[in-house]
Amino acid sequence: MTTAKNIETASPPRQDLRARPRWTWLVRRREILVSAAIVVVVAASTAVHPYFWSSSNIAFIFADSVVIAFLALGESFVMLGRGIDLSVGAIMGLSAIVVGFQIQNHNMTLLPAVLLGALVGIVLGLGNAVLVGVVRLPPIIATLGTLSVYSGLEFVVTNGNQVDTIPSSITNLGSDTVLPGIPVILLLTLPFVLVSALVLRHTRFGRSIYAVGDDAEAAYRAGIGVQRVLFATYAISGLLSGLGGVAFLIYTSGASSTTGVGDNLTAIAAAIIGGTALTGGVGGAVGALVGSVFLTVTLTALSFVHVADVWQPAGVGVLVLLAVVYDSRSRRGSVAWRPRKRQRQRQSQRGTR
Amino acid sequence: MTTLELPRRWRVPAWGLALLVAIVAELCYFTLTTRQFAGHGTGMLALSEQFAPTGVLAMGLAMVILTGNIDLSCGASASLAAVIAGTILEKGGSPVEAILLAVAVSTLFGLFNGVIVAYVGIDSLLVTLATQFIITSIATSVAGASPPFGFPGAFTLIGQGAVNDVPIALWVFLVIALAIIVTVGHTNVGRSMTLIGYNLRAAQYAGIPIRRTLTAVFTLCGAAAGVAGVLLAAYYNSAQPDIGTDLLLPAITAVILGGMDIFGGRGRIGEVVLAVFLLGYLSQGMLIEGDSSLSITMVTGLVLIGALVLKFAFERNLRQRLTARMQRLRTLSRGARS
Repeated sequence: MTTAKNIETASPPRQDLRARPRWTWLVRRREILVSAAIVVVVAASTAVHPYFWSSSNIAFIFADSVVIAFLALGESFVMLGRGIDLSVGAIMGLSAIVVGFQIQNHNMTLLPAVLLGALVGIVLGLGNAVLVGVVRLPPIIATLGTLSVYSGLEFVVTNGNQVDTIPSSITNLGSDTVLPGIPVILLLTLPFVLVSALVLRHTRFGRSIYAVGDDAEAAYRAGIGVQRVLFATYAISGLLSGLGGVAFLIYTSGASSTTGVGDNLTAIAAAIIGGTALTGGVGGAVGALVGSVFLTVTLTALSFVHVADVWQPAGVGVLVLLAVVYDSRSRRGSVAWRPRKRQRQRQSQRGTR
Repeated sequence: MTTLELPRRWRVPAWGLALLVAIVAELCYFTLTTRQFAGHGTGMLALSEQFAPTGVLAMGLAMVILTGNIDLSCGASASLAAVIAGTILEKGGSPVEAILLAVAVSTLFGLFNGVIVAYVGIDSLLVTLATQFIITSIATSVAGASPPFGFPGAFTLIGQGAVNDVPIALWVFLVIALAIIVTVGHTNVGRSMTLIGYNLRAAQYAGIPIRRTLTAVFTLCGAAAGVAGVLLAAYYNSAQPDIGTDLLLPAITAVILGGMDIFGGRGRIGEVVLAVFLLGYLSQGMLIEGDSSLSITMVTGLVLIGALVLKFAFERNLRQRLTARMQRLRTLSRGARS
């Protein structure tokens, strides 16, 4: 027995632990990569069309991306926990309608409006949260059902009317700028992004979302209340979508029974472009903002080079495909992912480097 | 060499029976409450041509979901097929030409989805999310500012005509449904689909041609979307570029309500057919009663959630009871041994 070696000291040093070259974090962090892409697109568009780099156009791009940013932010929380929320657009629309009617008919001011929007969002989000976290339906089914229910509710609440007279004291927030190119509404959005980023990165709750999304079984064994974490992510997603509804009111100064119908998939697209993986455990809050700004910048650039508006959805689709093909993580566990061959390749690459 | 004759395991299709009871109850309710619903029996059949396209779409989707994937782009594919068929007819092409080309184009997009999912290896939710956007754009741009409408009678007959009081659209749906039931239940390809959805690793080790099967499934789903699009254009006698996109969610709802497991490998196509009829008659009955289409969406969502909550609660109870019994048996046998 004395001849048996201690396995840990006997095993050769592991190849995987060798440090990567210093610069790779630049490419590996999706937020930075997408920001660089934004710079490239902006530079190219400005070269073609000088008006692109004007304060009013930049302010427009930022204001335009705020609504999707809120939805993508909520979607990120859910996707980090390996879920999906198909109902964010409907929650956004419903909140915009409820708040809009209050503003229109009862002269509600901004602060109560934001609180009401948050309340509507969190109540609707709790519907998803109960279905996924308590009843344990698969997220895609649960949110598909609530999507139908909420978009039906939108119609019931509007009763055929629509919101169209929002006082300029509120809509000015969408058009006024603090500095040239920075609209007020962006400044109102940033705190939410920062708080989300801090919560995700530096709190026990945030880390447990990543843990659950990465491997729910392992998280459960590590003592994390998996269902409780999932419950919270859907409630947060609802809350942020409700706030997105208020942002929508400020930006477009109106809402109807079909508001937000097509925004579910766009929000998911923005989150994916921002680096949040559908397979959970990878991504972040800043990525959601950067992803939605990138989406808006690219679509605006397309319209600047006279691509017809009907091709804008195709632009979104191509961007999603590019983001996904670039991200090799999204292939893990699929048919075409052959671990042995790839690992061998990777090891041989590392050996030569 | 002797072949083993194993008895085929046959389970009582409890979910299908429940759906059947629900359909009968629903038909009775609408017949009693609204006068126009039954229409001497033929009215009920005539209503079915409105949800036959959704049914065809659901058939294609059911196969995709059976393999554990999803196709979000099939609604857009149906729109594209409708628009292409409409454009060809408007330019004076024959109906046969229009139908063949429309189905061919949407089949091609299905093939594209399948190749990317199977050979590049990207999650089908992401791939079809992207292609859904792209196909929508193409459909809108083909349709142009004034979408085609007013087709020749030979074409609209597919969506509005009837043989023996049974609408042609319903015949198309039933034939496709039968073909897919046989394919999934009684052929090698169908078995492979089920195993791929049930356990991908096991399918790999069993030497099943996973990539080819997946590609075939997505291609077939594209073809089904094409047929659904043609039926839609023929029924409405026009081809708006969003004509099929609205059918995506009802089709997914029908598949899930039909007891198909969203993670794949479990479910029966026949039960999905029943769910199509259940949802279709529900929405038609409510429309005749005077409800708006959006409140129908709401009721559909509530039905979906309610049905699945029940189903999951039931299945979980059953599984818990079974595992508890197994454990009791194990402890008993252990006690007997010692």
